[in-house]
Amino acid sequence: MYNLPSPQIEGEILAYIPFGDIVYYFSPYTLVLFIFALTFTALAILSRPEKQVDIAFGGDAYYTKEIPEKQMRFQRFMAISCGLATMAGVTTGDIFNFTLLTAMVGICNIGIVASVKNKHVLDNAYEYGILAMIGTLPLFGAAAIILATTGTLSLWEIFTPAVSVPVIAKALLVIGVIGEGMAPVYVAKAEITRAPGAPYVLMIHVSSLLMFLRVVEIIISM
Amino acid sequence: MTGIIRRISRILQNHNNLVGVYAFVVIAIIIVGLLLQSPLTYDQDQLYPKSIDKNSSLDPYDRGGVPFGQTNVVSQYPENEPYLGYVTAYLTPVSLWISETTRFMGTTIVSHPGGIIDEILYNTRGLDTIIETAILFVAFTMAMFLFTRRREE
Repeated sequence: MYNLPSPQIEGEILAYIPFGDIVYYFSPYTLVLFIFALTFTALAILSRPEKQVDIAFGGDAYYTKEIPEKQMRFQRFMAISCGLATMAGVTTGDIFNFTLLTAMVGICNIGIVASVKNKHVLDNAYEYGILAMIGTLPLFGAAAIILATTGTLSLWEIFTPAVSVPVIAKALLVIGVIGEGMAPVYVAKAEITRAPGAPYVLMIHVSSLLMFLRVVEIIISM
Repeated sequence: MTGIIRRISRILQNHNNLVGVYAFVVIAIIIVGLLLQSPLTYDQDQLYPKSIDKNSSLDPYDRGGVPFGQTNVVSQYPENEPYLGYVTAYLTPVSLWISETTRFMGTTIVSHPGGIIDEILYNTRGLDTIIETAILFVAFTMAMFLFTRRREE
């Protein structure tokens, strides 16, 4: 009974997991995204934090930066929860569920950035936090407009040709996901990839990228 | 022309301006979107209907139905919900008594965070409740981490 109306976009349905009205699904497209998120979550669980090496010029001396265990554990927790939210977000079959998981990805990204103890990085985390909070307005606004104009939230219904979604809802959904996924810009600007605790910062990039790919699929299908 | 591009790139290169630029884009999209398609039509066949009964003792919170009884609930996929309609109206005996004697029970439920989360969600959307509380937990963890770190200094 669950069939994607336009299989040429992401292929035939492979499996579905029903949670009441929220029916998760795997198609070839979402399965690839899911495996990608799963791999990087496993990497975040298994890997040790990088210790940067500073070399003192004019001698053979070098020293590594110490990463406090508390900060490492917190960053790992945030990276894992970000990975779990991403895994759910790329497979969900409900538009409100998708916006919630995107907001969770945004909050986890703030957490990863905010745990680095460096004034420059924390300034950027603050700016990104404000941006992500503004981003929730178009994100949930889009879900609300879709619910009001179509009467349903299930992607299975919204994807059918009989249901038409207004342009403003699509545009707001895209700009909302852009706002939540803006973290890599701040990461690049503040050079957080060179701050201590590097492997967990990868999760920011992966989650934003996967959320962008998923929202593109949703916008094209509806 | 190059002057304009230079001026725009001077604004965009400073990442402290990004919040302002983003807010501006959001406002522009809302205005253009409403100009393109306005008014937006409200679909009468709603999956999650909401009606407010001002005379109910549970006023802002009243979701209809009798406590501990079965209620008619609209659902997208009824085959996924074998116990549909049994958990829409529930109150503990104490809160049932408070709601029958005073008129403050509905406002009390709505005015605490769990009530707001619970109020917009139905039996059919249980996973959303889990994810919303997960978001709250992650935010609390972050606040706790930052607070204890500042105290240790």
